[in-house]
Amino acid sequence: MSLTQGTPAATGAPAATQAAATPLPVAGRGTPSRRPGGRRRGGRPSSARSSKTMFLLVAPFLVLVFLFSYLPLAGWATAFYDYKPALGLAGSEFVGLQWFEMLVSSPVQLQQIGQVLTNTLAMSFLGFATSLLPVFFAMLLNEIRAPWFRNAVQTLTTLPNFISWVLVYLIAFSLFSSTGLVNSVLGDWGLITAPLKFLDTDQHVWLTMLLWSLWKGLGWGAIMYLAAITSIDPALYESARIDGANRFQLMRYITFPQLMPTYVVLLVLSIANMLNNGMEQYYVFQNAFNKEYIQVLDLYVYNIGITGNSLSMATALGMLKSLISVLLLVAANAVAKRARGTSII
Amino acid sequence: MNSRKAAAVIAVPLLGALSLTACTGPGTTEEAGGPVSIDQDWSQAEPLTIDVFDGLANYMGTQSGWFGKVVKDKFNLELNVIAPNVAGGGDTLYNTRVAGGDLGDLVVVDKGEKLDELVEGGLVLDASPYVDSMTNLAPFDAALDHLNEGKDGVYGFPTAVSSISPTESSEGLEPTFGPYLRWDLYAEAGYPEIGTLEDLLPVLADMQEAHPEADNGQKAYAVSLFKDWDGNMMVMGKQPTTLYGYDEIGFVLAKADGSDYQSIVDPDSEYVRALRFYHEANQLGLVDPESTTQNYDTMFSKYQNGQVLLSWWPWLGQSAYNTDENMADGKGFELVPMADQQIFSYGAEVYGGKQVLAIGAGAEDPARLAAFIDWLYSPEGVTMNGSQTGASAGPQDLTWEVGENGEPALTEFGEQVFLGGGADVPAEWGGGAYTDGVSTLNVQTVLPKDVDPSTGFPYNYTFWPSYQDKVANPLTEDWSERMGGAASTMEYLQANDQLLVAPGSSFTAPADTSEIETIRSQVKASIVEHSWKMVFAKDDAEFDALLASMKETAEGLGYQTVLDFDMANAEAQNDAREAVANEFG
Repeated sequence: MSLTQGTPAATGAPAATQAAATPLPVAGRGTPSRRPGGRRRGGRPSSARSSKTMFLLVAPFLVLVFLFSYLPLAGWATAFYDYKPALGLAGSEFVGLQWFEMLVSSPVQLQQIGQVLTNTLAMSFLGFATSLLPVFFAMLLNEIRAPWFRNAVQTLTTLPNFISWVLVYLIAFSLFSSTGLVNSVLGDWGLITAPLKFLDTDQHVWLTMLLWSLWKGLGWGAIMYLAAITSIDPALYESARIDGANRFQLMRYITFPQLMPTYVVLLVLSIANMLNNGMEQYYVFQNAFNKEYIQVLDLYVYNIGITGNSLSMATALGMLKSLISVLLLVAANAVAKRARGTSII
Repeated sequence: MNSRKAAAVIAVPLLGALSLTACTGPGTTEEAGGPVSIDQDWSQAEPLTIDVFDGLANYMGTQSGWFGKVVKDKFNLELNVIAPNVAGGGDTLYNTRVAGGDLGDLVVVDKGEKLDELVEGGLVLDASPYVDSMTNLAPFDAALDHLNEGKDGVYGFPTAVSSISPTESSEGLEPTFGPYLRWDLYAEAGYPEIGTLEDLLPVLADMQEAHPEADNGQKAYAVSLFKDWDGNMMVMGKQPTTLYGYDEIGFVLAKADGSDYQSIVDPDSEYVRALRFYHEANQLGLVDPESTTQNYDTMFSKYQNGQVLLSWWPWLGQSAYNTDENMADGKGFELVPMADQQIFSYGAEVYGGKQVLAIGAGAEDPARLAAFIDWLYSPEGVTMNGSQTGASAGPQDLTWEVGENGEPALTEFGEQVFLGGGADVPAEWGGGAYTDGVSTLNVQTVLPKDVDPSTGFPYNYTFWPSYQDKVANPLTEDWSERMGGAASTMEYLQANDQLLVAPGSSFTAPADTSEIETIRSQVKASIVEHSWKMVFAKDDAEFDALLASMKETAEGLGYQTVLDFDMANAEAQNDAREAVANEFG
């Protein structure tokens, strides 16, 4: 989050002072009860007033941020109690750091958390590694000349994004379960004797999960780039064509470089979300056979808190997640400092 | 806008939000006053809809049909059933409702930890003012007192109470567990002798080979598994252990007579033996490949279609497949004589079963609820309520009547309902299909095997002589002939000394401390995960490696702590069983 906040805040500052210097347009509208004539008399009070008005304009959002981002932190208290819903937090016993100690109490426990973190990071990195695919897809889609075909492809590839993961799993199940379409067909053709296990295996779990999320998200991810392509200056293409560039050269030397800024912004945003790779997908696909490799942090917290009914321990784990996020942020900051010479924080 | 106003703009929503977070505290209980009579005509009372949080219910929504009409006519109540089983997600629904401070007006929960928490948190009502006038409940005062011992009032009402000796089986004509095979196919295989659990495998292999497909053209498998009920262990892995008299208490398998306690991850345990049994079955191609992903409902429909040949429960195989039509053709599930079996049986519980009824602290009309609960203990309530599979006889004069000889017997309509595959209820009883109108509470207040004081015969109609005369068919006749003329499974098991009754002590294990609960939840997830992998391991070496890994992981997560706790409970349970057997046996 903080990675992107740096730039708007920096560029926002001169705009604000500008507004203060020419007080009428913004400040005047903020206080309709005042006569406009009164404002012209002195510069100083209007400047103070305008900053106050600006603050009031921002205030609702500050309240929202407080309500939804900081107030829930009070729930962290649960991690220090032996929380029982029927008794409430006040009635539950205070146990201090017991849950945190339990998290690190045994090698097996640590190994489990390690595995969960590995899964989380691995799937996030696989996501980064394939994050260029929507760019290429958008570029290729853009090259299709027949509008009906382009629209058809775009609709068909965007649609999966709107299918819930539960339904995706149903599709996966009817296709790939032991008695699903694929196994039946292969069996009928005599290619296999025993059904292939696509869903209940611990082989290639990360890869299959990646493929499913690509199938679901590719078309949707390309929309942003398609929009970015429309804003590329046509003059660039024209001059390139005059220079004799063919379509692939146009893509390579104009479209692709022009899309890079958008791509980098989106990539940075997703790095900030590295630990939040969600749980719906993994929740519906999890079973005893693939659990070891499919449990990402969010799913692990869910499995412990909701399925395992250990709400306090799950909260402690959730705090761990925040801790790791902060560490990642500090690391990213250090990298940025080294690479660009400027610090984010 | 001045700065004070600005402060107010910010502060008001903040205070609002803070007060929102503050209002999740538990409700308060009213001060218990003097006795309140519930003896009045509730049918004229104001109409009232109550939320029933029912941990046993398999249906969610308004109770409809004939039972709904009876409750409406008698108490002017409508039952809105909230079923965590249907909602899914373990205790999620319970936790959120409890945290919200209102679980329901009428509550069916486990006794022990849950009830204690609800009492402490003030979510259930002290019903002592009403107890004096709850006349139908009076015969079960001992159970009521036992349940509320140590509590400052009467909070829970016992279920499945019984006046039968605790050393006697609480089950009906069939035990809860047993090796049930498709008898017709077993007969076709020439009634091979079965010495021990593992001997089932070649028999099953022969049966499956002779009938690889069911009548509907789908593949048939000897064994089909499901995962919905997995808890401390893989639920299907636990079932074969009951054939040797073991039942689970946490991670311990305790023998009914107290002679043995096993840790489930021990390679010599009955649990691992059962996993090995499935593993070998899978190697022989006897396990349904859909086992890993299917749920209970899918599996049940396979039983209905005859696609599965082995069932560990009569209430699965028989209730799905032994229809009139199939049995007339001589087809159906029956218990096979396994020479070394000693089947676990639950003794009658003098002090009541695992669940309790309670009135919610926020209930609008607690007196009426007390009257409703009291009615559930009356002979009329017991026959009308009762679970879908509990062989409850239904309303008198509709499904059954007392004949001229003074014996209860099913009416023609009752025969159609219970034997003929269902019927529609007459309009004056509310209409609709009979099964749709069955009580969705799914809780028995009195054990169905107990004697109905109004008829002198058990509540459970399958015990009535008139019923037993009626249901003889080619299947049961063939079975009876092979089993030395036994009239029922229970009779056969008792005659051959193959039933091990655990005295019904109503023992409830003390609540897990949260540390134990947390370790347990992680360990059991790992055990269940490993168990499934073991069943479907590609060879014996992989099976053994997974077994070692299961033991290692469990122990690394703190298994021993939980095991010690469970062992102590298992021994305490046995002490309670011995005590109750001495007192009432």
